[in-house]
Amino acid sequence: MIVIDRLCYNSGLRYVNAMEKFVFSMLTLLLCVSSRSIIAAILVLLVTGTLTVEKGGIPLLCYLKLITIPLVFLFLSISAVLINISRTPLDAFAIPFGSFYLTGSVQGLLWGVQLISTALASVSCLYFLSLSTPVADILGVLKKLHVPGLITELMLLIYRYIFITLRTASAILISQSSRLGNKSLHTARKSFVAMASSVFVLSVRQAGAQYDAMEARCYNGRIQILSEEHPAKYSEIFCIAGFEVFLFVLIVILKYKSSI
Amino acid sequence: MIETILKAENICYTYEGEKSPALDNLSLNIHRGKKIACMGSNGSGKSTFFLCCNGILRPDSGTIYYQGVPLNYSKKGLLSLRSKVGIVFQDPDKQLFSASVVQEISFGPLNLGFSEAVTRRKVQDIMDKLGITPFAHKPVHALSGGQKKLTAIADILVMEPELIIFDEPAAALDPLHTDLVHDIIGKVTEHGITVLMASHDVNYAYEWADEIFIFHEGRLLKSGSPDEIFSDDTLLKTASLKPPLILSILKNPDILKKKGKRYYSQ
Repeated sequence: MIVIDRLCYNSGLRYVNAMEKFVFSMLTLLLCVSSRSIIAAILVLLVTGTLTVEKGGIPLLCYLKLITIPLVFLFLSISAVLINISRTPLDAFAIPFGSFYLTGSVQGLLWGVQLISTALASVSCLYFLSLSTPVADILGVLKKLHVPGLITELMLLIYRYIFITLRTASAILISQSSRLGNKSLHTARKSFVAMASSVFVLSVRQAGAQYDAMEARCYNGRIQILSEEHPAKYSEIFCIAGFEVFLFVLIVILKYKSSI
Repeated sequence: MIETILKAENICYTYEGEKSPALDNLSLNIHRGKKIACMGSNGSGKSTFFLCCNGILRPDSGTIYYQGVPLNYSKKGLLSLRSKVGIVFQDPDKQLFSASVVQEISFGPLNLGFSEAVTRRKVQDIMDKLGITPFAHKPVHALSGGQKKLTAIADILVMEPELIIFDEPAAALDPLHTDLVHDIIGKVTEHGITVLMASHDVNYAYEWADEIFIFHEGRLLKSGSPDEIFSDDTLLKTASLKPPLILSILKNPDILKKKGKRYYSQ
């Protein structure tokens, strides 16, 4: 979370118009998910990955690490699609298991690969957005799209509070371990409980103080703030539109071919 | 004739669930354009009084007057009061709520009803004046303590209040940022803005203030010029304050004989 935030603020794409980035990642995500095609997914993965690493200047190793986080969950859930337990072996593989077989079909395998590639490509779209656009800018975009103020204001406060809470928690953890709070499993468990409850109490107090401070600045129930804007460039809009059209046409052709 | 900008008359305030009052029949006068230091130990009622000045807390009894008019606690009255009285809170993390510095500073002026264009100009202005521009593009949570403090001060200055309250502005700052903050406070008073500051720094208060309020257990123990306050030994003892270094050296030059031999012999 903190790593993503730090990378995002140093990204080379940070000062590109936020609406462009938002539209690009959302359209691509939508097309990619609706296409259900391995080729389209790989193309999207390559393009967003290259943009994030090359243009955004995110270190490749960092990006690969981030991409592999969802892989763990993916493989866990995909295994249900890939592996069947049945009395008769299927065509892809079959491992005898008493009177049963752990088995899978070629069609199931293909489906699994398609699911994984689509999911990875979707995640790469979201990573593209979150590794290039600060939360403050994303909120500006949502505001322009007329998302209710209540939601954007909550997002703003939650975002700020994540960092305050994390910092409080880590300060308490450090102070606990400097007093041997983690000596044994038993004390570590106790310390963790104490930390969790005091973080809760502290955040309630923090919220009260913050509300007072906002009131002192004439807060009237609506958080009004400036959004930072970076002008959109025609060349960028042209490229995005070109890519989306290309992707769309590709998907249509692939569908057409597979339906014949 | 000196104009009184804010006047408190016998105000009492007790926090819910507490037995002893935080403010106990506090009365004081704040004169326009003055530099006023509020001193006293922790829990002596300074911060509670500040919250009352801004209408965040409403005294249980007693009245606060702003420019001779009792505070009006209706929504409209509070908004107009808060546009004139600003508080820079002690802990910037409890004041800053926004994701970026520009957004943070723009909150006040937009609430006052300025247009986006005017607000943008005001924000840029204040950032230039306080030297915030170099880190204006950083997220608030990545700022250093000193940078957060400067942002918190800009938050309030950009609203151009008539009275600014600084609650221990130099708490937990390094010497460089302490000087920066003191510099800013100096400039603020040059513009005719009344400044009320809580501080534990007797040396700075002695040098800077026109008037010092000594708070003790929710009451005003004494108010007066720095000379009057720091020459009153029994008062200092009750309020657990030490006299400024410069005065203690004047009173007891033997300190230099012991500690500063090198300088003393010259």
